[in-house]
Formats: sequence, structure tokens, C-alpha cells
Amino acid sequence: MSTFSGLTTAYTGLTAARRGLDVVGQNMTNASTVGYTRQRLTTSAIGSLAQVGPLSGRAQVGQGVSVDGVARLGDAYLDARVRTSAATSGNLAVRSNALTSIQASLHEPGTGGVSAQLLGFWSAWGDVANHPGDAAPTGVLLLQANSLVSQIAGGYNAVNDEWSETRSKLSGMADELNSAGQQVAALNGQIRSTLASGGSANELLDQRNTLTTTIAALTGGTVRDLPDGTAEVLVGGNALVTGDTFRAVNVVGSTTMAGAGASAVTLEWAGRPGFTVAVESGEMAGSVAMLAAANATGTGGSIAEAAASYNAFATYLADKVNTAHQAGGTSSGATGLDFFGVSASGPAALGLSVIPTSAADIATGTPGAGALDNANAVAIAALGSASDSPDSVWSTFVTTIGVTTKSALQQATLAESAATSASSAQLSNSSVDLDEENVNMLTFQTAYQGAARVMTAVDQMLDVLINHTGIVGR
Amino acid sequence: MLTRVTAQTRMTTASLNLQSSAAQLARLQNTASSLKKIAVPSDDPAGTADSMRVRVAQSATAQYGRNIDDGGNWLTTIDSAMSASTAILNKVRDLTVQGANDGSLSVTAKEAIAKELEGLRSDLLAQANTTYLGRTVFAGDSDTGVAFTGTPAAYTFTGTGSPVQRPIAPNTTVQVDADGAAVFGTGGSSVFALVDNIVADLRAGVNIGSRIGAIDDATTAVVSAQSSVGARASQITKAKDANLQTSGALEAQRSDIEDVDLSQIIIQLKQQEVTYQAALAITSRTLQPTLMDFLR
Repeated sequence: MSTFSGLTTAYTGLTAARRGLDVVGQNMTNASTVGYTRQRLTTSAIGSLAQVGPLSGRAQVGQGVSVDGVARLGDAYLDARVRTSAATSGNLAVRSNALTSIQASLHEPGTGGVSAQLLGFWSAWGDVANHPGDAAPTGVLLLQANSLVSQIAGGYNAVNDEWSETRSKLSGMADELNSAGQQVAALNGQIRSTLASGGSANELLDQRNTLTTTIAALTGGTVRDLPDGTAEVLVGGNALVTGDTFRAVNVVGSTTMAGAGASAVTLEWAGRPGFTVAVESGEMAGSVAMLAAANATGTGGSIAEAAASYNAFATYLADKVNTAHQAGGTSSGATGLDFFGVSASGPAALGLSVIPTSAADIATGTPGAGALDNANAVAIAALGSASDSPDSVWSTFVTTIGVTTKSALQQATLAESAATSASSAQLSNSSVDLDEENVNMLTFQTAYQGAARVMTAVDQMLDVLINHTGIVGR
Repeated sequence: MLTRVTAQTRMTTASLNLQSSAAQLARLQNTASSLKKIAVPSDDPAGTADSMRVRVAQSATAQYGRNIDDGGNWLTTIDSAMSASTAILNKVRDLTVQGANDGSLSVTAKEAIAKELEGLRSDLLAQANTTYLGRTVFAGDSDTGVAFTGTPAAYTFTGTGSPVQRPIAPNTTVQVDADGAAVFGTGGSSVFALVDNIVADLRAGVNIGSRIGAIDDATTAVVSAQSSVGARASQITKAKDANLQTSGALEAQRSDIEDVDLSQIIIQLKQQEVTYQAALAITSRTLQPTLMDFLR
């Protein structure tokens, strides 16, 4: 043990306290940085020098403090929980958002929806039945019929727009996913080389963590930490990012709702066309599910199913009214006339049209009865109150959407609160507490003062030894 | 659970709490200002279905109401035409009785009676051709515009015999016209031809006393048809009362399904307002202090 080793010991204390204050400073300044994980200085005591030889029996003191590194106080388990819950919540949020907007386009219940137009339509038939052959009630009927037709077409278009919007959002999500994946790959490379050269990659890890959470929210991708510090991101069992390589994902399939049946919207690996990315959760999985085509059992994508319901309703309405209208005769005795025309091509909801243009084209009476007979108009007006009325078909559709939306909203709310609780658990572990940092700051400040005092004491001791020894009595 | 509380978690929790409280307040404000329980179907899918069903029933009831008014007007028109016809026939009978006094009437006086009878026949024909909103009320569903056509002496009935009906309640229809053929007869056997024959006899000097029985028969036909019209008018009046009651009951049902209780929503809104203000006040107090406030 040399005479000056006390000074060195005190110096290590000063250095450690200063590094500690630096870490406190980093923590405090990043107290509100998104994704920042608090850090701690890790130190250890330096043992005494190894003693060999015959005179090694003396008690030895250690050599001070060693700064081992700066630890990042994250928790891999909590991070994984945040990713899983974000994936579920994202998936359900996409679903509930699309359904909410379809539901809003129905304008039900109330006076703005198809049901109100239907009621007006049946009433107009009732008024025509009271004044068969009159131009005024017929005009009202034709106006009402046209407004019903355009309301159905408008509803269908709103659903169609929702589909297109979801489709273009999915493309946007794929861009976001690819950019996040690319950044994760780049960060992996930086982290690997930083760690290999013995540096601290804490801030890079924070950035990577934020990005992998984004990827998880989009695709439900899972993260595997590898021993070299890189993270592997797996989507549907296949690697999106391994080390510093990244595989892009493309959205393929129809860009219109009508084409979704023939060419379904899916995600595939850009490097291997034809191989589907099996996303199980996350916003992109939700969007892909919403964009699926309608099927015979009604379990297809919600948007296309709503559109199919519009078509089914339009066809049903046209069939019901036409069957009744064909049975009647006009004032000139013509029979077998259709009231609604349904276009053979394209969706029925858009192809609906009103055929009659004047009172003479409307079959108000029983064939063979007088010109002003109203029996058939009465029968058509009564269609609205029948148990198998188009109104009840419409009401079933609205109720189905209502029930689906309600359960989707409930699920989304639950998933959202699970995601919130996961992220607050993560925050509670990783976020910076100013009080705690204040205490640390005081500790390091005092430690610095203490080390400085030790240094002063050693210095004075040396001063006595060097400058005042041997001058007694001079 | 071991929970570390930091400034950031406190901040996040506070803002989440404020957000949910504000969302609740906004929802209540929305409900209170629209006074509708169900804004979108997902608020209450079953209620939505009920609401749509009640609206269908309301619309049907309103239509029945309009049918009832229309039918009532037809029957009123027919009733007054028949009353006028009965009065005219009574007058015809009086003149016939007067004209049958062969001995005391001069040819000039008979001609005067004949002229008056001709006038009455025209009046009667006008009553038989009475219209309501352009429709002849005695000609059923015909569109000829008059019930009896032809220059005097033809009196062809243009009706088809099929009745004009109005649905006045579910599964209930009522006939709102009267069959002109049954009321006035047709062609040569019509009441108009009868009056014409009386006039001809009067001018030819034939005694018309024997026609009185025929006039009485014609009057009876009109009166009995009128009593049937009266019975249907009273059916319509009853249907109108029932319709009013139904529409009142349906409106009550609709309101029950769709509308919110005003006092309840105001109390809820007030409570939520207080909750929100309390949340704001508490947040402002808890977020302030840190250790720095006490280290000097």
C-alpha cells in the first residue's frame, strides 16, 4: 500500500459520484421523453491488491470504487405484456371503428333513415289508394319512391366508402410497418456493434422498444431478444427482422369492395410473392378481417356483409312491391307491370330504379275492375304492416349491426383498458421519478463532498509528513 | 401489487381519469340536449327494433286516420245528396198528386206542373251526379265523371258495380260509396225516366195518379240506401275514436322507448358535472408537489 493510494481511492469516489450525477441528470432531463427507461449507475468496491510473499499477512484496505456501467431498469416481461395487449386492442379498435361508422351511416333510429323513407313510401301508396288516378298523390308516391331508392343507394355508397377507406388505411399501415421494421433492423446493427465494443446502448434499446411496440400494435408481432443484443421480430411465425436484415410486407388484393370476392385482400412477403403473412392480431389483422368478402353464411367481413345486406334488402323490397304491382292493373287495364326496376349488373342497392312516370303507369286496381279501383294500391300500402314486410327485413339488418357494434365496442373498451393497465405497469416500472432522482442527486452530491473531504484529509496528512517532519525545535 | 408511483404515472393516470370523466359528461350532455335515449342502434339494439316497430304502427295508424277522414267525407257527401234527393222526390210526389186532379186543372196549369217536374228531374240528376274531389260518388270506381249519362231519356248508369272501399283499421274496410243503380235505378226504370214519364203523361192528358206508388217506391229506395250510408258513417265515426286512442297509445309507447326522463338526466348531468369539477380540483392539487418544493 503506497503512501498516495488514499488519494487514488478518494479520486475513484469523486469520479463515481460525478458519473452518478451525470446519470441523474440524464434521467431528470428525460423524465417526459416517450419510451425512455430510467437508468442507474452500477458500481462495485475495488478489492485490495493481491498479496504474495512472506510479509503478506497484514490487513489490507480496498482500492476504492469502480464504475461498472449504466444499467437500464426495463422489464422484458412488462414490455412483452404491453406489446400483446396493444395488438389485441389495435385489432378490436379497427373493428369497432369500422362498425361504428357503418352504424352512423344508417341514421337509425329516427326520421333520417331508410325506415322513415319506407314509412313515407307506404303512406304515399295509402294516399294513392284514396285518390287513384290523381296526379298529386301519384307525384308524391313517385317522389317518395325515388327518395327511398336514393337513400338505399346512399347507404350502400357509405358502406363502400368505408371499405375503400379501410383498404387505403391498410396500405398506410403496411408502410408504417415497413418503416418501423427497417428502423429496428438498423438499430439492431448499431446496438450489436455498440455492445461488442463495450459501450452502453440504453437509449438505442429504448428507441427499439418503442418501434417493436408499434409493430406489435400493427401486426401482433412478437419479439425475441438474442444474446448479441439484437432482437428478432416475428410476425405470424416468420421473421420480419433478424439481426440487421429486414423483410418488407406488401398489401395485395382487390382495391374495390366488388372485387374482394375474387381477389381477397391479404398481406404477403415482398421478397416471396404469393406467400401470405399470417397476421393473427393487431390493427392490420383487424383490417384484413374487415375487408374480407361477404359469404353465404353471413360470416364474412363486416363491411362487405353490411353491403350485402343492403343488396338483399333492395332485392327483397323490389320483389315484394313488384309481385303486388304485377297483380294489379292500371286505369287503362295494363297488367303485369313492375314498379321497381333492378339492374341486372352491379349491386342491387345501386341498380334500383322507379319505372312508372305518371298515374297511368301505376297499377292501382284489380284487373277488370273500374278505372279508379284502388284495391291493389290498398294491398301494396298494407305491405308495410305485414309480418314479412321489407320494414322488418330492414329492422333485422339495423338490429344486427347494432348488436355487432355494441359487442365490438365492449370488447374494444375492455382491450383498451387492458392495454392501458399494461402500459401503466410498464411506465410505473420504467419511468423516471423526480423525487427519487432528487434523493439520488443528494446522495451523489454528499458522496462527492465526502470523497473530496477524504482527499483533503490525505493531503493534510501528507503535508504534515513532507513539510513539517524534522523541523521540531527549529 | 408492487407499484412504483412516478410523476409520469401520476400524470398519465390523472389525464386518463379526467378524460373518462369528460367523456361521460359529454355523453350525458349529448343525451340531455337531444333528449333521446337511443342515438345509434348500439346504444340499445332491442330498443331500436322496438322503436322501428312502433314507428311502423304509428305510420299505419296515421294512414288509417287519413283513410277515415276521406271515407267520412265521401259518406257525408253521399248523405247530403241523398237528403236532397229525398226532398226532391217528396216535391215530385206533391206535384204528381196535384197534377192527378184532372178535373180542376187547366192545360196551362198542367204545363206549369210539367215544367216544374222537368226542373226537379234535372235537380235529381244533378244530385245523382254529385262528385267529391272529382269523383262521382254514386258511380263506384268508374272514371267517366258522371254517374248517369245520355241525353234525357237514356240515363245510362256508368258505374261498374264494384264498391269504393277504404281500409279504416287493420283487416277492416268500409264501403264509402253508394251504388247509384240501387239508389236511382238505371235507364228506363230509373227515377229520372219515371219523372219524364209523368211529365209526358201530364202533357198527353193521361191521369198520373197511378204513378204515385212508383214515386213512393223510388223514395223508399233512396231512404233505405241512406240508412245504410248512415250506419257506415257511424262505423267510421267509431273507427275515428278508436284510431285516436290507438295513436295516443302508440305515441306513449314510442316516447317510452326513445325519450329520456328529463328530471333523471338533469340529475345525472349535475352529478357528473360535480364529479368532473372535483376531478379537476383534485388533479390540480396532487400534481403540484415534488421533493424540490421542500429542498431549499
